[in-house]
Amino acid sequence: MRGIGPHRLAGMAAPMAVWALHFVLVYSLAGLGCEEGWHLRPAAGLSLLKWALLLSTVFALALVGWLGMGAWRSARASAAPADALQRRHRFMARATTILSVLAAIAIVFTATPAAMLPSCT
Amino acid sequence: MTSAAHADTPQARLSALHRIWRNAPGFVGQLTAVNHTTVGLRFIFTGFAFLLVGGLLSMFIRLQLAWPGNQVLDPALYNQFVTMHGTTMMFLFAVPIMEGFAMYLIPKMLGTRDLPFPRASALGYWCYLFGGIFLYSSFLFGGAPDAGWFMYVPLSDSTYTPGLSADFWLIGVTFAEIAAVTAAVELIVAILITRAPGMGIQRMPLFAWYILVTAFMIAFGFPPLIMASVLLEIERAFGFAFFEVARGGDPLLWQHLFWLFGHPEVYIIFLPAAGVVSTLIPTFARRAAVGYTWIVLAIIATGFLSFGLWVHHMFAVGIPLLSLSFFSAASMMVAIPMGIQLFSWLATLWSGKPWIRVPMLYLIGFFFIFVLGGLTGVMLALVPFDWQVHDTHFVVAHLHYVIIGGLLFPLFAGLYYWLPLMSGRMPSESLSRTGFWLVFIGFNLTFLPMHLTGLLGLPRRVYTYSPELGVSWLNLLSTAAGFVLAVGIIAILIDVALCIRHGRRGPPNPWQAGSLEWAVPVPVPPYNFASIPTVASGYPLWDDAAVAARSADTDGLLADARDGRRELLGTGLLSAAPEQVIRISHSTWVPLLTALTIGALLACFIAKLYLLAALAVLPLLALVGTWLWTTGDRHAPAQVEVAPGVRLPTQASAPNAPGWWALVVSLLIDGSLFASLVFAYFYLWLGAPAWPPPSSEAGGWLIPAVAVALLVASEPAMRWALHSGDRGFPMRLRAGLLLAAVLGTAFLVLHGLALEATVGAPQTHAYASVVWTLAGFHGVHLLVGVLIAVFVWARSRAGYVDATRRLEPRIAAAYWRYAVAQGVIAWTVIHVFPRLAS
Repeated sequence: MRGIGPHRLAGMAAPMAVWALHFVLVYSLAGLGCEEGWHLRPAAGLSLLKWALLLSTVFALALVGWLGMGAWRSARASAAPADALQRRHRFMARATTILSVLAAIAIVFTATPAAMLPSCT
Repeated sequence: MTSAAHADTPQARLSALHRIWRNAPGFVGQLTAVNHTTVGLRFIFTGFAFLLVGGLLSMFIRLQLAWPGNQVLDPALYNQFVTMHGTTMMFLFAVPIMEGFAMYLIPKMLGTRDLPFPRASALGYWCYLFGGIFLYSSFLFGGAPDAGWFMYVPLSDSTYTPGLSADFWLIGVTFAEIAAVTAAVELIVAILITRAPGMGIQRMPLFAWYILVTAFMIAFGFPPLIMASVLLEIERAFGFAFFEVARGGDPLLWQHLFWLFGHPEVYIIFLPAAGVVSTLIPTFARRAAVGYTWIVLAIIATGFLSFGLWVHHMFAVGIPLLSLSFFSAASMMVAIPMGIQLFSWLATLWSGKPWIRVPMLYLIGFFFIFVLGGLTGVMLALVPFDWQVHDTHFVVAHLHYVIIGGLLFPLFAGLYYWLPLMSGRMPSESLSRTGFWLVFIGFNLTFLPMHLTGLLGLPRRVYTYSPELGVSWLNLLSTAAGFVLAVGIIAILIDVALCIRHGRRGPPNPWQAGSLEWAVPVPVPPYNFASIPTVASGYPLWDDAAVAARSADTDGLLADARDGRRELLGTGLLSAAPEQVIRISHSTWVPLLTALTIGALLACFIAKLYLLAALAVLPLLALVGTWLWTTGDRHAPAQVEVAPGVRLPTQASAPNAPGWWALVVSLLIDGSLFASLVFAYFYLWLGAPAWPPPSSEAGGWLIPAVAVALLVASEPAMRWALHSGDRGFPMRLRAGLLLAAVLGTAFLVLHGLALEATVGAPQTHAYASVVWTLAGFHGVHLLVGVLIAVFVWARSRAGYVDATRRLEPRIAAAYWRYAVAQGVIAWTVIHVFPRLAS
């Protein structure tokens, strides 16, 4: 995909951008869901609001995981760089890999309270 | 000046460079200067002047609080001083001084001669200066702003703050913020495409990484505040309703928008300071920074995470617990990238051979104070603890530990570190150490007791307290120590002034640093490098002793300025391989005149002379037109020889032209502004019982549908124009431009009529206010697009645009596409969403 690979500047920012989108999404869903009463409508053991928050989190984690795997593969491919181009690729791929891990931690961090706290008080 | 007219000796080449790059002589030269060295130093100097003014206000505040019942300031004046102290330190000191350092240092560190948009830097400086003066002139017109530096509504609305004080704040601060926005565009483009050949992003100086991320944060963080200020100002001036509950508004909207800016702002201040730390530590540890990749990713992560914190300033306003906890989690998450940086610095010092000179002393002070501020920050990130100490002096202590520790100490470290470059002279070790200890001890004794007074219940922003609170002696201690701090800061500034006048002359690169700015000769020539250096490592001066000598020679890249133009070398975004020659502006009056005209416009506005303010748009447009018409070098050939046998395109024919990247960054900023407005729309909708309210009606589909069809049709017209120009049909290019402009104007007229018939006056309800503002915001963008189309039409007629020099049609087409997309979104929000929601 153009623009998202670990060899582009935007690619380095992509994992954290996913965190940001997830953050905005769960914050908006929490506000919207409470307003619309989703937290009072149970479906398969959880409220509709909790399902929405859970699904957004799973989706965001999958996306970050996909970005991180791609970057990791690229980092391993240029493990012993011979020239400036390969050194640059290794640097960008490594940074993207670790940023994906950080983004995943941040997403889990953001989502944990949703599992532990009541939704709308 | 042609090549035949001068003998081609090294001396002749150097004097040609001097003649081309120097500022004009005398006072006039100061008014027209655009060079980054001059403008950067001005930002730094003016920033320190505002530090003294803001500091003076804080001395009055401390005197008032020294003992219960003091009468130094009456309550009204106290509120003004507190507001102006915070506003000055944030908007007129912290942000601009860091921009100044970045503007001064970035081109030198990257191995280039200037920033790519020198007139924009000069304009930014004048707007900053005039904005600051504008804000302070409020003291002459019946009182300075007094609603706090965060200007919360309803306190700051026209009911509770009649008069002009809040208007001075809203307009003055927004005026000064133009500098932040121009600096963001300028620095991003400079860092992306003007690095010295060989400086791929894997070995870019860490300071440049910090500034790059900071600039992007400005691009996304400042627009919410600018939008909030605009909304509040039109509510105050024209009676719109965004924040007034009785007419469907919501005061919390202001808090969201303000802190959406306000929290990233803390990191916008801190990251450049951390960049100074990351630059100085390797020098004084005498080894490369440990974990370059880790620091870079920590900077990127901090930049993002800092946007997920804004509500932690609003823990006490009654937002649902779950929503608060998202922000609490993100607040604590920031500790991870901050920890990465901190441990990298410690590891660098640990594994190096540290050399304790004055700049290093300030860094040790920074570690001590900033860690304490960070720890109280983690405490405040916990919602229950925050509820206990919210709005007390505990928060005052925390924020000063973070900002003085995180900004002022690295700033002084950087000041002493780069002083030999700026002045050619060494700071005195004795006086500067005295200054350090005065500031360090004075600071801690002023603010450490505030943790206690805060825990005991001393509120913030209140002009006095009762003796029964038992905090009188602690306050007296804070006041006394505050004066020690003030004396220390003045001692440092005197020391610096003495050093500039009488210091001992230093050797080149006195700290034996590894980065390129130390390859610049002292005193700094206006062109920095006679030949653009080529680098092969992250610390070029350590790994290649001849870099400085080669870049002062006149037989390298761009050393032969035969056309008499200011030229930069443009290089690839990631690779830093030479790609283009960027011709930039000479000294000019245009930035100063533009800033003066904006100032006149705003002055008319605040005086409620709206007709005059509208008329001031005409000279402004004329100036902007002149500015654009003289951008770069319109007579430049398609290619230039940068060294014998090496030819590169000039920017008008280069794909990665600075103008293109400036457009990309500007549209990011503008998109953030637009997103803030759309956020406001949905925020107001969420709290409204009926949307649209009974005072407005949905209306028919027909006219809006025709209007948006015309708007959408203008996009292919513009694209056709661009392709025709590329294929060498200038007539079709011009026809397409005009067709798109006509279609856009038709949309504006039709859509305006449709809204007029259904929405009603904007003053009736928040719905009408936000719909009109959304439509008006987009309308302004479309009008700008029309002006751009007319401009490119004129350029094409004048022969400055053709199939090779296609930058301007590219920019016009890309801007137009953006404006159409924005229009479609705004149209959908206005016409489709209410029908779906109801």
